[in-house]
Amino acid sequence: MRFKKILFLVLLFGILLCLPLMISDAFVLRIITEVFMWIGMAITWDVMAGYTGYLNFGHGAFFGIGAYTTAILMMRGGWAFAATIPVAGLLAGIGAFLAGLPTLRLRGSYFAIATWALSLAIQQLALVLDITGGPDGMRLPPFLNPQFFYYLMLIVVGATFFLLWHLLERAPFGLKLKAIREDESGAMALGINPTKVKMQAFILSAVPAGILGGAYAFWITFIDPASVLSDIITDQAMVMAVFGGLGTLIGPVIGAILIFSFKTYFWAYLSDYQVLYLIILGAVIALTVVFLPDGLWGTISGRLEGRRALKKGLEVRPGAASRPKSGEKSHV
Amino acid sequence: MWMLLPQALVDGFLIGGIYITIAIGFSLAYGVMHIIDFAVGEWIMLGAFMGFYLTHWTHIEPLLFLPLVFIAFGMIGYFFQPVIHRVLSGRKGNPLLMALVFTFGLALMFRGLGLTIFGFYSRSIPSGFSADSFMLEWGPFFVTIPTIRFIGLLYALLITVCLQFLLKKTDFGLAVRALAQNKESAGLMGINANRVSSYVYGIYVGISAMSGVLIGCIFSISAQMGSNYTVFSFFVVVLAGMGYLSGVPWAAFFLGLVQSFFLIYLNPGYTLLAVFAILYIVLLISPKGLFGKGV
Repeated sequence: MRFKKILFLVLLFGILLCLPLMISDAFVLRIITEVFMWIGMAITWDVMAGYTGYLNFGHGAFFGIGAYTTAILMMRGGWAFAATIPVAGLLAGIGAFLAGLPTLRLRGSYFAIATWALSLAIQQLALVLDITGGPDGMRLPPFLNPQFFYYLMLIVVGATFFLLWHLLERAPFGLKLKAIREDESGAMALGINPTKVKMQAFILSAVPAGILGGAYAFWITFIDPASVLSDIITDQAMVMAVFGGLGTLIGPVIGAILIFSFKTYFWAYLSDYQVLYLIILGAVIALTVVFLPDGLWGTISGRLEGRRALKKGLEVRPGAASRPKSGEKSHV
Repeated sequence: MWMLLPQALVDGFLIGGIYITIAIGFSLAYGVMHIIDFAVGEWIMLGAFMGFYLTHWTHIEPLLFLPLVFIAFGMIGYFFQPVIHRVLSGRKGNPLLMALVFTFGLALMFRGLGLTIFGFYSRSIPSGFSADSFMLEWGPFFVTIPTIRFIGLLYALLITVCLQFLLKKTDFGLAVRALAQNKESAGLMGINANRVSSYVYGIYVGISAMSGVLIGCIFSISAQMGSNYTVFSFFVVVLAGMGYLSGVPWAAFFLGLVQSFFLIYLNPGYTLLAVFAILYIVLLISPKGLFGKGV
């Protein structure tokens, strides 16, 4: 089973690697690149929300920190783009450490408020400082190569996905996080240091967001507080993860693909009604929480698993106990 | 420089009064239902627009509409609470987390609706007191107080006293406090938790919306104003200690003084950042608020 999963992922990765060779349309390539970016934002948001049970309402701040780091180092320091990316990730991680220091010891409500306040504070800081260009934003040298950005985002998001998949689904780290989510004092009794583990998870979710922000700044070539630090970035990552299904890695990916495709069509055909988009985002979150608390993927996979278990149970009862085993072998 | 000191102090208290009005209902709702309502600023915005349109159509003094707005939004909140209750009592996942996500979605939706219906322009509610102000002189010092802001401070103190009376002296208040302490035990003592929560949510929404009208008379209103007020009510409530109602006025006055001193003596652009820094330090040193009595 695991072998099949790995094979599937490797195949998918291979197809995605060859995609730019088949698609010559720059517009389509650009949209796929942006989908990758949003997948990255949604899965990193889910590390805190779905796996640890702490809602981060300031995920966009780390994205913005990364974007501004790259822009400032490239424009004011004359660095090469590749050299700025690790710094962008590092600064986002330091930001997460500082934000987590007072709040991760406390209950989730404090964390939610504090991260939201952090995003507003960073926005305010970017508006008043000179080095960020204030409300005018910053311009970066244009580098017009869609293929380069496609591969850049693919590699960043792919690496993030595999890292998270390994850490959360296969390594003990994911179990620790889930233990904290289910029962923090129980986890403490098992010898887990919740604050430390939560801090690791928070930094783990912030660093890729910073790197994505840096890549985005170089890609779009213009950043200002209204674009890379606006609330809509957090909101969108949140909707994607919640709609797709919290606490899984596949869910946010599905959510990101669906919501982003919807957004693209919406803005293409209904651009006069941009405000409607906010209403739809809000409605999707609220309705998902009320009617589909496991999200799309959580509900579907739960149904499928239930049906599989039912089928197995019906098969096992009349026949010998060894039958399902042989059946499984023949599938592989 | 020192001549402005009394003005800074008075301004701080006047601004603090506005912070009381936006935070006290929120603190009450948190104390009882243990949810953070991200839509607090949006309730303020909706209330402000209701006041604006009522004044626009009838040309009557907007402050007279305060009780009407309170009743209208109190009913909206009362009938809305079951939806939040449904999310909070969900068996799947982490209900508190889901409730937080839910109110956040609600806030987005309300902001979008507000922008669609009311547009992007900012307006102000024309009150008869808007232009008035009175001046106090005392030796070399003098203080100018806009009448409407003074009314705002009185209103905030009145609301605080009323809520304290309601909570400390009535049976309903006893039920609310019991519910805030322990939901199950309160239920065993014959308190209908759902109904009391509905009333509390109604009171909170009503107070927030009513304060919106007052804010509309003092400042301008726009459909995007919600998140600013949400963040300030969060600040006040965290400083006061989450769910600790008696701390709200002091925390609000403290924040108001910080803001007025920054406006007069330092760089106004850094006001918000200073408030963030204070919040950060308080969370680091005394996470249960200035008085250490938060939940």
